[in-house]
Formats: sequence, structure tokens, C-alpha cells
Amino acid sequence: MSGDPRSSAESVTGDRVPTAVRGFVHALRSRTAHIQQQTALPDEPTSALREVNPDAILAARFASEVAAVGCDVRRVTMENWLLSIEEILRGHAARSVLIEPGPETALTPKRAASLRQALAAKGLATMEDPSDDDMFAVDVSVTGVVTAVAETATMVCVSGSRTARGATLIPPAHIALVARSQIVPDLFDTFEQISAWGQMPANVNLITGPSKTADIEGVLVTGIHGPGSVHVLLLDE
Amino acid sequence: MGWLSGKLRLRLAEATRNTPVVEAVHRVTWRKVDARRVSMDKLRHAENLRTRAERIRRHVLERLPDYLEQFVTQATAGGACVHFAPDATAADRIICEIARSRGLRLAVKSKSMTTEEVRLNDALAAADVRVVETDLGEFIVQIDHDRPSHIISPIIHKDRRQIAGAMARELGCAYTEDPEELTSIARRHLRDIFRRCDLGITGVNFAVAETGTLCLLTNEGNGRMTVTRPRVHVALLGIEKIIPRLTDLPVFLKLLARSSTGQAMGAYTTLITGPKRSADRDGPEELHIVLLDNGRSDILAGPVPEVLHCVRCGACLNACPVYRNIGGHAYNSVYPGPIGSLLTPLLWGPSHEELPRVSSLCGACRLACPVKIDIPELLVRLRSLATDRQPRIKRWLLRGWAWGMNRAWRYRLGQRLMRRTLSDDGSGWATRGLGPLRDWTGQRDLPRPGARSFRQLWQEDLGDER
Amino acid sequence: MQVALFITCLTDTFYPRVGEAMVRVLRHFGCQVEFPAGQTCCGQPAFNSGFHREAARLISRMADVFSPYSCVVTPSASCATMVKHHGPPLFPEGDQARPAVCALADKTWEFTTFLRDRLGVDMAAHLRFDEPITFHYPCHAREIYSVEDLQGWLAGANGCDLRVPARPDLCCGFGGVFAVEYPELSDAMLRDKLSELEATGADLVISNEAACTLQMSGGAHRRGLRLRFKHLAECLAESLGLMEPESWAG
Repeated sequence: MSGDPRSSAESVTGDRVPTAVRGFVHALRSRTAHIQQQTALPDEPTSALREVNPDAILAARFASEVAAVGCDVRRVTMENWLLSIEEILRGHAARSVLIEPGPETALTPKRAASLRQALAAKGLATMEDPSDDDMFAVDVSVTGVVTAVAETATMVCVSGSRTARGATLIPPAHIALVARSQIVPDLFDTFEQISAWGQMPANVNLITGPSKTADIEGVLVTGIHGPGSVHVLLLDE
Repeated sequence: MGWLSGKLRLRLAEATRNTPVVEAVHRVTWRKVDARRVSMDKLRHAENLRTRAERIRRHVLERLPDYLEQFVTQATAGGACVHFAPDATAADRIICEIARSRGLRLAVKSKSMTTEEVRLNDALAAADVRVVETDLGEFIVQIDHDRPSHIISPIIHKDRRQIAGAMARELGCAYTEDPEELTSIARRHLRDIFRRCDLGITGVNFAVAETGTLCLLTNEGNGRMTVTRPRVHVALLGIEKIIPRLTDLPVFLKLLARSSTGQAMGAYTTLITGPKRSADRDGPEELHIVLLDNGRSDILAGPVPEVLHCVRCGACLNACPVYRNIGGHAYNSVYPGPIGSLLTPLLWGPSHEELPRVSSLCGACRLACPVKIDIPELLVRLRSLATDRQPRIKRWLLRGWAWGMNRAWRYRLGQRLMRRTLSDDGSGWATRGLGPLRDWTGQRDLPRPGARSFRQLWQEDLGDER
Repeated sequence: MQVALFITCLTDTFYPRVGEAMVRVLRHFGCQVEFPAGQTCCGQPAFNSGFHREAARLISRMADVFSPYSCVVTPSASCATMVKHHGPPLFPEGDQARPAVCALADKTWEFTTFLRDRLGVDMAAHLRFDEPITFHYPCHAREIYSVEDLQGWLAGANGCDLRVPARPDLCCGFGGVFAVEYPELSDAMLRDKLSELEATGADLVISNEAACTLQMSGGAHRRGLRLRFKHLAECLAESLGLMEPESWAG
């Protein structure tokens, strides 16, 4: 994407831009004509500013950061991931489960189907595209992520036609399936990735740990509006 | 009234005597200062990142019209409706009109100092829109009919008893002082509101010019609810909050939460580009971005444009010994603390002109600022632009003093006079002085200058020794 | 080498002993000390209050008073900062006073860094203390030396039992005219500072800034606290046997 502001402005017709806005920008330009443009946009590669380098053992670093921000993290394989999920659901006494496979995530439609089957066999109802009322009754959601960051334990989730924004927000507990190969070292790497997508989706969430607040006397409380329990399943692939 | 100052001094003096608030502010700010220090020490590239962040902000503000143009074009292409509000009244009018024309009646708000700045809640209430603050601290402020006292943690001046009382009284719930239980009560109450709301109002932490993307940083999840549940999302954005590219965002993300709360990252960083796509499962159908000037272009074109570099992290408030001893309400402004001492007179004019003087220029704020704003320098610059409007006595005294200092003989005379004006009870300490010295001795003693000044000592003895 | 002493108005008036200590120490390390009698003030109070025209006049005068000398030493880091960092920007290119003001900025040294960097003195090696000490780091020393520098000079001293305050660089609340414009607020800040110092358990506070010492000692005395304050120059002079240890008159 071009970094030069002028080339973008000229190439788009801008006829949906209201006159008032264009008028303001024009007026601002006259008012600030005296300002010396002497500071270049920093363009040195950010690889030198990474906190975590590509040669680090990313899965281990990610796992320890995830635990440090208050998530439950488990290493799983294709052999035992279903059992892990069942265990987590039991721990939450879950009765309503949302399973949302997503494009570009480790939770493929095929894997989602096998999870659904496994849970159905245990008598557990699952859903994929709940109504509003049902969404607010979900106990635990299971989703994938698009990318994960070792540096900060951040998971990137993209909403779209098959993934709701509410899936990682409304239920009180969230299970995220992350493949080892999805982990990038540093936030700088994540944003290079996002930048390379081309068109931005309407909503991207970078999620780091459970929902939290410390507004009351500085006492940390989790699970205020978003999930209070976040379980990260680190899949060995 | 003192010799050099008036009503503001009295208000501040009274604030220092509000012991429960002062103690609460001490506790919370020290905790945040320590948390910031620990987390910044762990950030290996902290100093380089701060420098880079400073340069990015400076670069953008040197070219703001171009970046604004790019942002507006991109945001519009992404499906957002962009509005321009020259001042607070216009912002309120635009947002109320959006609500009215779409029949929106229940608005949820994520915390936004900009919306406080334009007093949006009052305007919406007058337009018959029910507004519910959803950030826990702002929610408590709202139900207790209070004002926020810190730009990040609105209720650091309140203790759990006050909060418990407000919640029991206003929500009719059982009285409890337990933070977990109080939070749970708020969660249940607000969840119901989130299910029914039709308008969501947020501020914006950063707006990316390259893609027209809004970046929101939150911890609780109320921000995400606000931009997901209602069918219309209105984002109020000060024109200075632009950054050039997506790849510039991580520079700020790495610094912001550490500076604010000591966390490495906040819980949720949300990137919004336009309203929901037609096939998206959820999200608002309309996104309105209201660009707010309200004096910012004056600041940009004026003598202290660096004030606009601010990313509203609150680190300077936590670091400031003045803020710590008076609390946020004493500033009588939406923006308290060091950055507030600059913003407030610049946005709201002459009645706040004295605020930049309320600082010892200790520089703790400058050290804490993630974008390296030299707040003490800007305070001095503002002071230098207001000298003719300072109290007459102060101007005379200061100019008189400077005149006196301009000749060695006048300086020596001044020394002798001062020795005379300080009462001597034989202890070597003066407890009462005259004139401005009375304002000193009101609080502390002053050592009475000894029999000889250094220059006398030199002339009589020391100079000749070798 | 020859050094000219820039004593500062506060040290001249309230703490002549600090000046005496500086002179004795500088002579001890081989300097010839001069004292230009025409000196008055660097103009910092005027500058901080925004009265820049008045401050510029005073700085320019100081530049003239010190023009015969090639090396100027001052006991105050804040006055050194005023001269070195805030003076020159007050004189635009082309102003005829600018060369002298810039020359003053280049040749002015704060006392402790002068000893360390120009004379190569290992401060810690020459210092000795026979009671626990703590210290105050002046906010306006940031351009001159760091908290770690000051702590290092003290921690390595002979017989040193250094009690580091939780926040050595906490502002004492002086802030120049601020202290008399908003005295209650200044005193509230002072209260925090004094509690920090008292909490260390040491009675002797090393404070290298006359303004801060005035504020802290004045507040300590009013409150009946046992804290006493000394400039590093005095401690050095006493440790080197160049001056009698001062007895605290109370």
C-alpha cells in the first residue's frame, strides 16, 4: 500500500467525501502552510526493533507469555485436541457450545465437524451460526485465529461471513486453537502480515488475555464484558 | 490571597487538604508509576521506540492536511461516512442528527475523553437519546453523577465504599464492597443494555491514513461490544490522532499499554475499517466518523503544536507530583495533569490561563511520555506568551528583581535588605517573612542568611589564601 | 588550571560554606580559583516564569562578567543547565550577544562533573562518611548527571552506609516562583519528599542544589525533623581535611 498521502488522494474521485470535510482540509492547508516539513517518516526496518527474533523458540515463548497474561494454555496434538476440549468444557459445566471454523485458521471446517460429532456423541449441543438470543446463552466458544504473536501472547481474529465478532466476545469462555506454524515472533511481524492482506476486513481483533478491569481501587477483576476465561490450545503443526 | 496568585491557589490549597482523595490518588499513581517502570525496563528497545514514535507524530503533524485527506478518502472508500465538526456544538449537532434521523434511542458509549470534551452526553440527553457509559469507571461516574478525574482511570478518586453505595442506590442491588461482585453486577446490567442498544459511540486511539482504519484500545470488552452490537457506530476523532500506515501502529502499541497501566498489551486492540460488509455475520450497518477540530487547528498553527503529539496514555498524570497532591478535579477540566495544563488553556482559553504556572517543572512527565513531549518546555513557552496577563504585583516583583540583579551593587543591597526583613529569634531560622517571603514562611522556615555572604567571605579571607 | 567560580545567588546568600568548600577542594586538586565580583544571577527564576527578555539580559550580563575566563564552575546543576541549555536559544542567530552567551554555555561546568570529567577525580575514593546517609537528586540535574551517577559517587565512599530513598528524584516542590505562588501545593509535595527521606532512617541528606536544600531544610525545621542537608562539596572538603566538620546547630 502506498505510503505517500498525496498519490492516494488524487487517484480516488472522492465524490462521496462531503464538501464540509474537503473545505476543512483545504482551509487547514492554508493555515499550516508556514509549518516546516523537516521530519522524515522513520523508514528504518523494524526488524532491528523486535523484542522477539525469528530465531527464538516461538512456541515456547508464546506459551509462556499466554500463561503470563492469564490464559490457560495447553499443548495439544491432532490425537488429543478433542479430549482437551472436552475436558475444558466439563470444567465449565458447559451446556451450550459455539464452534466457529474460520478461513486461514487451524479450525478448519473438517476439524470443526469432527469436534461437533465428538461433542454430540457426549450429548452436548453445539451451534455454528447462533441467533442473537442463542449467542448470549453460549457458555463456551471455540474458534481458530488468523495469526498469533509470541512477543505479547496476542491472537489475531478476523470477523467476516463465517466468523462473528461476538464469537470471541460474548460467551464468558473462549477456546482458541492456534497452530504452532501460525506464531510470528513480534508485533512488527503481525502488522507486516496485516498490511500485506491488501484490503482490510471490516473488523480485526488483536486479543491478549481475558477481559479485565482495575477501575475499582486498582483491584484486577477479569471477565467484565468479554470472556473471563481464555483457553489457548497450541496445536503441534 | 497571596502576593502572586489568587483563586486558583485557594482551590489548589483546598484540594491538597482533601485527604481521602489525595491518599487514593497517591496509592493508585504510585502503583502505576512502578508498574510502568517495571514493564518499560523489560522492553529492550524502549528508548528507540519512543524516539521513533516521537518522529512519527511530529512528521504527521507537519503534514496533517495531506494525511487527513488520505484518511478521509480511504475511510470513505471503505464505506464510512465522514463528517467534519469545527467545534463542540457542531459535533453534538451532527451526532444528535444521526441519532434522530435513524430513530436511535439507546446509545452505549465506550470511554472517550473527546466526547467529554464536547459534552456529548448532555446533548444526546437533550435530544431524548438515553446514553449509557459502559466503561466500568465511567459507568460508575455516570450513575453517581460525578466527573472523571483521570483520563485513563476515571474513578481513582473513589474508594470501594463510595462505589458500593452508588451502585446499591442507583441500581437497587444488594450492597457489596467486593470488587468482583460489584463488577459482576455492572456486567449483568450492561449486558442487558448491550443487547438492546441501537447506537454505539466511541472515541478513537489512532486513525490510520493509509487504509482509513480506526484503532481502538480497550481492556474490558465494552468497546468491542459498542462497535459490534448496535446498528450504527459513531466514532468521534480529534483531527490530530492520525498515523500514516498500519505498520506504524505497532510502534505505539508497544509503548501505550506499558505507559498507561504497565501491561505489555491491552486485552483488545480493535481495527475497524468501514461498517460491516454485507456478508459479515455481525457488526454495525453504518459507520460515522466525526472529525473534531474544536481548537486543534489553532493549536497546530500556533506556538505549541507539540501538544498534539499526545496519545492520551495518562503516564504524565501518574508521574506528576502536582497531580498526585491535588487530584484530577482540581484542574476544573476534562483534561487534567501535565498534558491537561497545556491543553486546557489552549482549548478553553483565558479563564484557564494560569494553569501552566501550576508546575515545578520537575520533568517527571517528560520522562514518562511515550512520545517524548517536552512538557516542561511547553509550559515555559506558554508562560512566556502570557507574561503581560500575569498578576500585576508578580510582574512588578519579577521585573524589579531582574532589574536589581542586573548590577552587582543592587544585588548586594538586595541581600542586605533581605537579611533585615527576616525576623530573627536567635535560632538562625526565620519563621516570618515580609511580602512574598511571607508566602514562603507560611509553610516553612527560612534559614537566616549568616553574617557573611560568600562574596564577603571571599573578599575578606578566602580570596587571598592560595 | 584557572577556574572562575559562578557561585549562584542562593548559594552566595544562604550557603557560603558550600562556596568555601568548593574553593578549598578545587585548590586541593590543583586549580587556581578566581571569583569575578560582578556576578549576580543566571536569570533562571525569570526564565521559568516566562519573562524571557529579562532572563536574556541577565544571561548576557553573566556572559560578559565571565568573558575573561576560559573555565567556569558552579555548585548548582540547575544554574549550569540554565546557562548551557536555556541561555543560547534566547539569542537568535545574528544577535550580537549570542557569541558570548554560547561561549559561556560551552565553558560552564557543574562542580561534581567538573571534578570527575575535567580533573579526573574519583569522588568516591576521597569521600568518607561516619553516619548513615541518604540523598536527594535534583530534578534540574537531568541534563548534567544521572541518579546513578550521584548514587555511585556516594555508594563507593569510605565508611558509607547509603540508604537509597524509594524515589531519589522525587521533586522537593520548590520549582522557583512556584513555591511562593502555590505555597500549600509546594508544601504538600515537600511533605511527600520529607517522608521519603525520613523513611530511609538516615539523618544526613546529600543535596547539591541550594534551592532544594532551602525548601527541604525549611520544611524539616518547621516540622521538627532531624534531617540535615549537605552539599557534596562540603562532604568532600571535610573528608579531605580541608574544613572542620560542621556541627549541626539545630
